[in-house]
Amino acid sequence: MNGGPLLFVGLLATMAFSWTGFILAPQIQLGSMGQTNTVPIGDASPLTYPLAQSGEAHAGAEIYRANGCAACHTEMVCATNLGTDVFRGWGLRRSVAEDYLLQQPVMLGSQRIGPDLANFGRRADTNGIYLRLYDPRLITPKSVMPAYRFLFETHKIGLFPSRDAIVLPDQDAPTAGYEIIPKPQARALAAYLLNLRQDGYLFEAPPPPQPKTNAVSTNAVAAKPAK
Amino acid sequence: MMTLFGSALTWLLLASLLGLLNSLKFHAPGLLASQPYLSYGRVHAAQSASFLYGFAVPAAVGLGLWLLCRLGRTTLAGPTIVFVGAIVWNTAVTLGVAGILCGGSTGYEYFEMPAWCVPILFLAYLMIGLCGLFTFHQRQPERLYPSQWFVVGALFWFPWIFSTAALTLLCMPARGVLQATTAWWYARNFDTVFLGFAGLASAFYFIPKLLGRPLHSHYLAAFAFWTLALFGGFGGMPESAPLPLWIISLSLVGTVLTVVPILAIVLNFYETVRHHLNMLDADHVLRFTYVGLFFWLIASVQQIIGALPSVSGITDFTWFGAAQKELVHYGFFAMTLSGALYYIVPSLLKLPTSAWCPKLLRVHFWFMLLGVLISYLSLLVAGIGQGVLLANTGNSFIEVMLRTMMPLRMSTLGDLLVVVSIAVFLANFAGMVMQSCRQCWLARKEAL
Repeated sequence: MNGGPLLFVGLLATMAFSWTGFILAPQIQLGSMGQTNTVPIGDASPLTYPLAQSGEAHAGAEIYRANGCAACHTEMVCATNLGTDVFRGWGLRRSVAEDYLLQQPVMLGSQRIGPDLANFGRRADTNGIYLRLYDPRLITPKSVMPAYRFLFETHKIGLFPSRDAIVLPDQDAPTAGYEIIPKPQARALAAYLLNLRQDGYLFEAPPPPQPKTNAVSTNAVAAKPAK
Repeated sequence: MMTLFGSALTWLLLASLLGLLNSLKFHAPGLLASQPYLSYGRVHAAQSASFLYGFAVPAAVGLGLWLLCRLGRTTLAGPTIVFVGAIVWNTAVTLGVAGILCGGSTGYEYFEMPAWCVPILFLAYLMIGLCGLFTFHQRQPERLYPSQWFVVGALFWFPWIFSTAALTLLCMPARGVLQATTAWWYARNFDTVFLGFAGLASAFYFIPKLLGRPLHSHYLAAFAFWTLALFGGFGGMPESAPLPLWIISLSLVGTVLTVVPILAIVLNFYETVRHHLNMLDADHVLRFTYVGLFFWLIASVQQIIGALPSVSGITDFTWFGAAQKELVHYGFFAMTLSGALYYIVPSLLKLPTSAWCPKLLRVHFWFMLLGVLISYLSLLVAGIGQGVLLANTGNSFIEVMLRTMMPLRMSTLGDLLVVVSIAVFLANFAGMVMQSCRQCWLARKEAL
């Protein structure tokens, strides 16, 4: 072990070893993946999966990225033998590679300080998302999520109230004559979040066996298994 | 080289301040939330980027250059280029961190630096790294010492993983979930191989040198070096990642096999310091290095335990991982590097080692040790508690999170101690620089 060249070649070889395992080989297997068909349940016909996101949802992904939402929220559902995600109503089935095919950037996250969002679109509605962003404690008392007030603006009500204004409970309503309007960033983010749904059953991700537990969902409407 | 170290320490202080800020947010989620620039997600990314690119890389490279000069009995090749490289690097990091706070993060953990900043960083690294290689090349022809392999390994490893991540995440983004595998692979390589190589290079140099004893076995060190290079970067995929199972299994095998280099390194150091392990009398450089190595051992073992399927089902995506990261970054790397700097800085400034203010030094050591311990243990408790409670579907998510708040708030105390210790270190460092300037000035006056 005395020569520089030997050291260099050895390092290159060890580096190439792990590079082949985790960059090249997955690329060979998954790099050419395309849309696929869902496994039909009952007499339903197979559907194309996943579907492309709307432009607004893409813009929302950028807001999600810029504000580092992935620091607290993952976007992947564990298999039933590895976690209680499915029983918590976070998803119908485990997440698989196919689910992320059309996302850019892919932000799976690595820590759950808030609930998993892989299927948030299945359990949320637009006004609910705005309320959570405006003040998370309106929906989940004692939530540790910060409020994202800077995604909203307060307007003086013009001739008529705006149809985009968010509906706040009385005690949080703005002073009379004013209304809270989500900025375009908040709208894009809501579009992105509503688009988060991994609801196609695939060959590699069939529906899990039905749980028989007293499951309590996170803090949202409990997800119902698809028909 | 002093530029590298000085800027690295400033970044370390900034990173730990940002960490403290985010830790405080768990006491009051409304804290500074109305400022988009200081919201949790952005500060989290900025903290990570300023630690990794502001502190870790320059500190590791600075240590590497010094060791290559020392062990090769030569002088630094192209000091001007290194200086310019350091300035460019720091400018890029400053702009990048500011960019992240303005919402420019790439969204990949460990690779948060905005895309426009990445080529500048790479260029600056090349300027410094190539000088390192030339320094290595002009060494005296003697048998290579283990620290030299580790340094050269680290110097090569970083540009390889950095360019791979830049190409497959930013230039030609891989499709779908492959981005996540690349990001996880990059993070594992950064922590285990790059930081591991750099920190261990320091330990392999200072422990035998300051004890005045030869290293127990060069062969064992070589064995540890190659196995760490082979298995250290071979993993990082969470057990429940949405990937084909073979990738996850491969990652598990690689992670478990890191037990081989860990055992080899522990055995080697144990045999070297056996009968000479007196922590209280030990030299302060040694004390930092011992503690750093010990934390490295715990963090590496925790990484293996956390990868085992029976454990990862509970601990994945909880504070367990954050605790391990805290231990690698502050407990191992910052600790070992602090020790090394207590030796390197006086030798660079041509001052005696006694020129450090001993009081500040002691405050630094104990505050850092206590701070890292408190942070680590409370995050570990929070992580295990979160995992165990979540495994029961009867506990709602928010209940579980509220129950982890107590240990999380405890960890703020640890973060505060770390911030104080680093501020003290920086003050001590500044004191040394001033002494050196005064000496220069006196010498010049006498000459006149």
